[in-house]
Amino acid sequence: MRFGGRSFRRAAALLAAGVLVAGCGGGAGGDASTAEGGKTVSLWHYYGPPDSATGAALVRLVERYEKEHPGVDIQPRHIPFGDFTRTLLQSAAGGDLPDIALINAFHTEAMVEAGVIQELDDRVAAWGKKDGFFPASWRTTQVGGKTYGLPHLADAYAVYYNTKMLDKAGVEPPRTWDEMAEAAKKLATGGRQGLAVSGIEGDEGATGLIIRILAAGGDVADVDSPEANEALTQFKEMVDDGAMSKGMLGWNEEDVKNQFANEQTAMMINSATYVSTLRTEKPDLEWKVALLPEDEQRLTLLGAENLTITAGSRDPDAAWDVMTWMQRPEVLAEYLPDRNKLPARLDVPAGQDETRAVFQEQLKSAWVPEGKLAGAAGEVFTHIQGALQAAVSGSASVADALTQAQQKIDKALAG
Amino acid sequence: MTLLLGKRRAVVAGVSPRPRRRVPLSAYLFVLPAVLFVAATVLYPLAYNIDLSFRDVGLREIVAGGGDFVGLRNYAAELGRPEFRHALAVSLIYTVLSVGLAFGCGLAMAVFLNRRFPGRNLMRSALLVAWVLPTVVSANIWRWMLDGTYGLVNTALGGLGLIDRGVFWLVEPVTALAAVILATVWTMAPFAMILLLAGLQNIPATLYEAARIDGAGALRRFTSITMPMLRPVNMTVLLLLFVTTFKTFDTIYLMTRGGPGDATTILPIHAYLEAFQFFRFGTGAAATTVMLLIPLLLSVFYFRALRKEDLA
Repeated sequence: MRFGGRSFRRAAALLAAGVLVAGCGGGAGGDASTAEGGKTVSLWHYYGPPDSATGAALVRLVERYEKEHPGVDIQPRHIPFGDFTRTLLQSAAGGDLPDIALINAFHTEAMVEAGVIQELDDRVAAWGKKDGFFPASWRTTQVGGKTYGLPHLADAYAVYYNTKMLDKAGVEPPRTWDEMAEAAKKLATGGRQGLAVSGIEGDEGATGLIIRILAAGGDVADVDSPEANEALTQFKEMVDDGAMSKGMLGWNEEDVKNQFANEQTAMMINSATYVSTLRTEKPDLEWKVALLPEDEQRLTLLGAENLTITAGSRDPDAAWDVMTWMQRPEVLAEYLPDRNKLPARLDVPAGQDETRAVFQEQLKSAWVPEGKLAGAAGEVFTHIQGALQAAVSGSASVADALTQAQQKIDKALAG
Repeated sequence: MTLLLGKRRAVVAGVSPRPRRRVPLSAYLFVLPAVLFVAATVLYPLAYNIDLSFRDVGLREIVAGGGDFVGLRNYAAELGRPEFRHALAVSLIYTVLSVGLAFGCGLAMAVFLNRRFPGRNLMRSALLVAWVLPTVVSANIWRWMLDGTYGLVNTALGGLGLIDRGVFWLVEPVTALAAVILATVWTMAPFAMILLLAGLQNIPATLYEAARIDGAGALRRFTSITMPMLRPVNMTVLLLLFVTTFKTFDTIYLMTRGGPGDATTILPIHAYLEAFQFFRFGTGAAATTVMLLIPLLLSVFYFRALRKEDLA
């Protein structure tokens, strides 16, 4: 086959010109957004695409700010949670960071170490409102004694229970973990479980066991201990006698919510995220929320995100204004019920909702990883889930599973 | 593959390659875009990864660049870790079993579909769907089917009376590995089938006729004609299956995330966790480089064998 001489050359020239034009267009596009005299603030988050319930709530919040501040254009961009940190690191290496990154609170230290986010101490001092935050929330913004973010919101875990099932079995919401084991066993009838907790592979599935270890008065960084042994032994026994399902090892929190919504379990430990999902998905389901069982103490793992200004922000002042506006009590009072989350601040009214009030009460006893653990939380949690998996599936005894996990945790904390 | 086969045939037929001609300089300009494309999308990332594997790269260095040169320390650290050796072993078990089964099933389907029967083309296309289906879809379907409480597989087995209580396939180490192998075989077997079918159709029908006249049975025809004639295609298919399976990430990550524990943590998942979950980019890069070496060695071996066969 031969290409016709002239027409081929013309086509090739056009093609080359097209490539050049596209190249110029790309270059100019970068500045065009800030043209019209207004400001642009880019915001990256992992809450969900704009058409999801959680993503839409954030979009509505952003639009409210834009309405109150003509001339400011906030550009939110959703990046899935699993890709978020990686994308942020790659963008930092490529010099293409957003102004604001809404990061997982437990990743704050890692992002500081990577040099992705800015120190905010001077701004916080001038703002003068840091005392309004829950101490646990505020601690997640601190790295090496300096402040690197503002808590955006908070989440707590509590016990959801099916009131019909509990009434029928004559069971009260459990107040201690022994009562929990007993109640769950009693409620597990007819192919149903008593209690569902997420135990999926990775750090996500460690939350339930962490809450149980904390209740026993244990230390999350020291699981080769009597307290962690007590916690894991109880979980294993609950699976062995059918109070919990072995399937928990494959369930994330969404799956656990589905088990509860479909009445496959009488109780679940889950975050406030699912309150309105349950109400809209299953309006006929009768359920309530109780505080976590209490032994030595009653601590929830804090679920939280921090607003941070990145090292590559072109307009940190505008970004800071957006961040502080988002923490105004009247803004939060509207946004948080919409987003199904809890305030990270003490000065936001709880409202009339009984369920949210329970979560807000539970949030007062929240635990966050600190010190060395804060920098390696993801890896340590992964090893704790590993111990849960090994013991529950029966591939190792409780003691061996914890000893092996401890060896890996020690290595993670040393490295 | 067709190129390789084409070359083989040319050599067998005794056609010598054309004598070299002087190539005008401008001709190189025409290949320049392709060269630049390959350099930017393949060679650069590869070189970057290999460079990373010789440096001490943590969070700070991955963003700001730099990182001290540490020679082979990352490799020594990785090779010395039980987690790495475990991942390598799981990778090899997973790959060898998946390739073996996918090849076996693919060959069986190819031989079957090589006959003429009504609805053959429809069936061939239907089988290919498994290979064309995006992994996100197929892996999640497998996950749901294998779920312990509401999964279809348990319902079916329970209905047949084979099990009396829910089996949590993806939660037990051995069944989880079996499940991801099954899912991989389901995807890869049609791929093997289509390549082997192409090979089968190249075998002259006269050979079978002659054998039949000589009184050879179906089994004898398969072992004495089909298999020897398919040999070069078999090797290509096995190599392609091995390389594709060895670097699989999505199927397993979506189905088990490498769990339960580390029962299905193959090398790609191990390397991903190292780099993006635990932020040890240097050792993660070392793991991926080792991961690269194994299929590379196999390819070299394969091309050697191919050349030897050509010369013989």
